[in-house]
Amino acid sequence: MTDISPKERLDRALLGKPTDRAPVVCPGGMMNAAIVDVMNKTGHTLPEAHHDADKMSDLAFDVYENTGFENFGIPFCMTVEAEALGSAVDFGSLECEPKIQKEIFPSVHDAVYLPIGAIEKTLRAGSVIQAIHMLSAKHLDVPVIGSLTGPISAAASLIDPMTFLKQLRREKETSHKVIDYVVNQLISYAKLMADNGAAVISIADPTATGEILGPKFFDEYAVCYLNKITDAIHEIGVPVIIHICGDVRMVKPQLQKLHGDVLSVDAFVELKQLKTELGEMRTMGNLSTYLLEFGKADEIFNQAKHLTTKGIDVLAPACGLSTSTPSENIAAFTTAVKEG
Amino acid sequence: MSDAERLFESLARAIIDADETAAVQLSETILAKGFDSAKAIERGISVGMEKVGDFFEKSEYFIPDLLDCAAVAERATAILRKGLAKEPVSRGKIVMGTIFGDTHDIGKNIVALFMEAAGYKVLDLGKDVSARRFIDAAVQWKADVLAISTLMTTTRGNIQNVIEQLRLDGKRESFLILIGGRAVTREFAQTIGADGYAENAAETIRLLDKF
Ligand code: B12
Repeated sequence: MTDISPKERLDRALLGKPTDRAPVVCPGGMMNAAIVDVMNKTGHTLPEAHHDADKMSDLAFDVYENTGFENFGIPFCMTVEAEALGSAVDFGSLECEPKIQKEIFPSVHDAVYLPIGAIEKTLRAGSVIQAIHMLSAKHLDVPVIGSLTGPISAAASLIDPMTFLKQLRREKETSHKVIDYVVNQLISYAKLMADNGAAVISIADPTATGEILGPKFFDEYAVCYLNKITDAIHEIGVPVIIHICGDVRMVKPQLQKLHGDVLSVDAFVELKQLKTELGEMRTMGNLSTYLLEFGKADEIFNQAKHLTTKGIDVLAPACGLSTSTPSENIAAFTTAVKEG
Repeated sequence: MSDAERLFESLARAIIDADETAAVQLSETILAKGFDSAKAIERGISVGMEKVGDFFEKSEYFIPDLLDCAAVAERATAILRKGLAKEPVSRGKIVMGTIFGDTHDIGKNIVALFMEAAGYKVLDLGKDVSARRFIDAAVQWKADVLAISTLMTTTRGNIQNVIEQLRLDGKRESFLILIGGRAVTREFAQTIGADGYAENAAETIRLLDKF
């Protein structure tokens, strides 16, 4: 297994087959690795690259080449879906990620249901699909990870989050209807990503963190809809990464029910222990993003080495990187993993 | 226990259960019977919301629960206000928002809810708020406190801009500055010259009460 390609390695790791070592990746989307250092070096910059397929694929390639992550990860933000479904987006700047300017609907009762397929009809989602296509056709050995905003985060980017979170308790029926609608849109978009060459789909759902939802609502909304998306993507034979942010200790029994191929969690969690507790679940993570931003390269190198001894299936930053993370720090991380 | 006290207690219960129908009915009964509205707010609504806050701190309630209870409390308070001879005195005026560049606002909104429940007047500027907007609002509204939230290390430097701009305007001493959110710490607050930091909503209230 000496000549195993990054794509093959990731595929094997996700499916629990033997590999020479664990891969080290950063999926894009919420876990975007287009840091300021890389953009300043190469001149392919955000916010422009959020829109244009050529710029997007150039920047994804720059990230791959300059960080050592063994994948392409696109898009670089988590606003594509909500923008397509109606919310206003501010595209930010070189340092600052795009953000939802205003959610389009004040409450779940105001939701307007567009025909399924609405996301991929927009220019920006079209650019994402095209960039995936170009990268996967050109670099056969490098996996392209297509990143999705998870169902709860996407829904809470369409409906005012405070009202939405309250309505998860009070207006269950309509809440389910809205999330199910969002999920059907996400599935259609994710399938198109896969058709165009995405080797893996990664779903990150920050608003579905156990800290915000607690076990009961996490079970009722997050588990159910994350599984619906995962099952649909599995049907077309593509593996799925699921990332849950924050402190998940509260929702451990619920995590066990997730159908994703690997579960990625933040640095609060000792992955070795989680793995024992969750039985079959494969894990991804979880080098602290704060360490990556503020630590020294040798500290990061050592911590990464330490993580490689923990039986983690896929190494990755623990959560979303700060855009000010120094590129030498990321290089220290990926080098440590590759040395095995 | 008197009739009035029994009603206040049931009202607290209705808040804890986020039972809107019961809370509205109880508040209307309290008004109709001419019982003391101020006491109803204190012993019914405040006591209920305090309990909700306890459950939240102990991770028995989560954000959807908290928001649901708070909405019921707001509705009941609006009814009981009609029975008040005069508006209750505010304990202080707070201008609040999430700093420029950052749109994480769930935590900030929770803190604002707790502040209002504790008797402070809050002007919430929302998210992605520039230094200029913070300062102009605080000056215009004659705020006592500027409360600024951020969850991103990339944007926390923007809080420092608010403080520097206030100094340039010669107004730094006019307001207490309180900061919070995952990306900041007590040490960070000291470094940038803020007056206080709190880790969560309950601690924020304890700190405000001390100011
Ligand atoms: C939910 C969430 C989101 C939601 C936010 C929804 C919303 N409307 O708020 C969504 C999906 C939109 C989101 C988006 C992004 N997110 Co986000 N998100 C989170 C997450 C998982 C939870 C935050 C939360 O709401 N917690 C629950 C509340 C109740 O807790 P809290 O906010 O800490 O508030 C409490 C205290 O801090 C305190 N407090 C809060 N404010 C204040 C203010 C004062 C004055 C005081 C005294 C106290 C106080 O009291 C509160 C109640 O007890 C965090 C991870 C984390 N562990 O914090 C990441 C996190 C904050 N996000 C992160 C990132 C990277 C992003 C994105 C940039 C992703 C991307 N690549 O696009 C975008 C942001 C775009 C932008 N420019 O704003 C990073 C930030 C990294 C960094 N640079 O520091 C975090 C830390 C996770 C990570 N490591 O990846 N996110």
